[in-house]
Amino acid sequence: MKLTPSEEQIMARMQPGVITLNGFLGFDTRNLNEIIADDEKVLEMLGISAEELAERMQYFSDKTFESYDLPVLIDEIYEVETNIVRGKLPCPFRHPGIYRKTITTLTNRKQQITVRWTALSIHTIKEHHFFEGKGSPFRLDPQILKKALLD
Amino acid sequence: MISRIFIDIAVACGISTFLALVLVIAQRYLADYGICKVTINKKKEVSVQGGISLLGALSDQQIFLPSACGGRGSCGTCKCQLTSGGGPVLPTEKPFLSAKELGDGIRLSCQVKVKGDIEIQIEESIFNIRRYRTKVIDIVDYTYDIKGITFQLIDPQRIDFKAGQYVQLESQPYGKVKQKAVRAYSISSKPQDNGLIQLIIRLVPEGICTTWVHNHLKVGDEVFLTGPYGDFYIRDTEADMIFVAGGSGKAPIKSMLEYLQVVGTKRKMTYFFGARTCKDLYLTDEMKAFEKVFPDFKYEPVVSQPCPEEGWEGKLGYIMPYFPEAIRDPKNTEAYLCGSPGMLAAVQKALVELGVPQAKIYFDSFG
Repeated sequence: MKLTPSEEQIMARMQPGVITLNGFLGFDTRNLNEIIADDEKVLEMLGISAEELAERMQYFSDKTFESYDLPVLIDEIYEVETNIVRGKLPCPFRHPGIYRKTITTLTNRKQQITVRWTALSIHTIKEHHFFEGKGSPFRLDPQILKKALLD
Repeated sequence: MISRIFIDIAVACGISTFLALVLVIAQRYLADYGICKVTINKKKEVSVQGGISLLGALSDQQIFLPSACGGRGSCGTCKCQLTSGGGPVLPTEKPFLSAKELGDGIRLSCQVKVKGDIEIQIEESIFNIRRYRTKVIDIVDYTYDIKGITFQLIDPQRIDFKAGQYVQLESQPYGKVKQKAVRAYSISSKPQDNGLIQLIIRLVPEGICTTWVHNHLKVGDEVFLTGPYGDFYIRDTEADMIFVAGGSGKAPIKSMLEYLQVVGTKRKMTYFFGARTCKDLYLTDEMKAFEKVFPDFKYEPVVSQPCPEEGWEGKLGYIMPYFPEAIRDPKNTEAYLCGSPGMLAAVQKALVELGVPQAKIYFDSFG
């Protein structure tokens, strides 16, 4: 799947050291369109949309924000906490807006799964269906994410 | 047949080379905007090379607008008011500008290309901002993820700042990081020590600049700092004061207390420092020592999740329930807050509910 010059620029911004230390692509050898297309296929198989997952992530992040950065237990299943540090990040797709450096960590006690995401992850999943490349520090496998957030 | 192919390739290469040359010449002569005039606050004129960003042009003239992203149009902090020139607002600027700002001619200076004479309005305090060449003279581990770094100013040798303000630090390329990064950090030293700057920097996961500071910066290294910036500083009144900080938010409050130690004050002051575990507490003895310096000062560390083995016997849980015992007259109380947005939101809500006027709550919400 060939990339347009604009998509090549996006991939350049996803390289290590441009927006974040280790970038958004990890050790993945697929290009941007392939990464997105493959994850979209998984979403279709799971019967859930990227937007639904992103909204669920936002719900959990908001719950911890209300609790003043301390861990919260939701529905006796989800143990969630958000750590906020100084600074903001831009979207690598050059979408308008900047995102606070927040890291939400969620443990699904029932499934024994822990996942973590940033405010920027929520945006890239919702708006671009981008879950990051394999090996990226904040890569979210859609299948695991769905299990952690909804099961 | 083969010769025909070679001729076609040669013709294609020739055309490409010709077009490239045309582009270079066009760039050189048609896009040459020459020297342009930037008039600042209707009283100062500077001549700049046209064709570069307004942010860069001003920086070349030693006028430093704040910029946390180094001019990439992603932080929205390099705003200034254009009263003449500058061309239309770009789509890259609009997300950062409110309707009122757009109406007032506010622009992102990093996105404005200087193509002709421009008139701008900036705050007078920006003329005090300088780029400092410094040398690291001390690095201290305060906690597992927080370091204190002291920089000696080399050129210029002195800085004039208010306790609570911040500087921008330029990190250098390292490892996979091929370019410099610019990030803002509050000054933790007092203004009276104007030959040095201390910063308190917490390691940010995946942070380009903080990883450089924590893993690559050494005593003796040369570092460039720009500043001072910010409007978080002590108001000169007689009101009681409440300080609230968490993590590296201790930096500006430390600067304020050290400043007050030099100038003297009789104001009633209470300082709440929120930490998750005892391992996140630092400079506790130094802050406690202020209780002997000031006639009415109390340092109150509050730990939200102490580990059982830590044996914490101090204040527990949220900071907010302890406010009533520290506030004697809400209307005559100023609050100075520095920490994460979540903490600040909760603290502000509690203070307002107790009757502290919103206008007297000053904060630095981690950039």
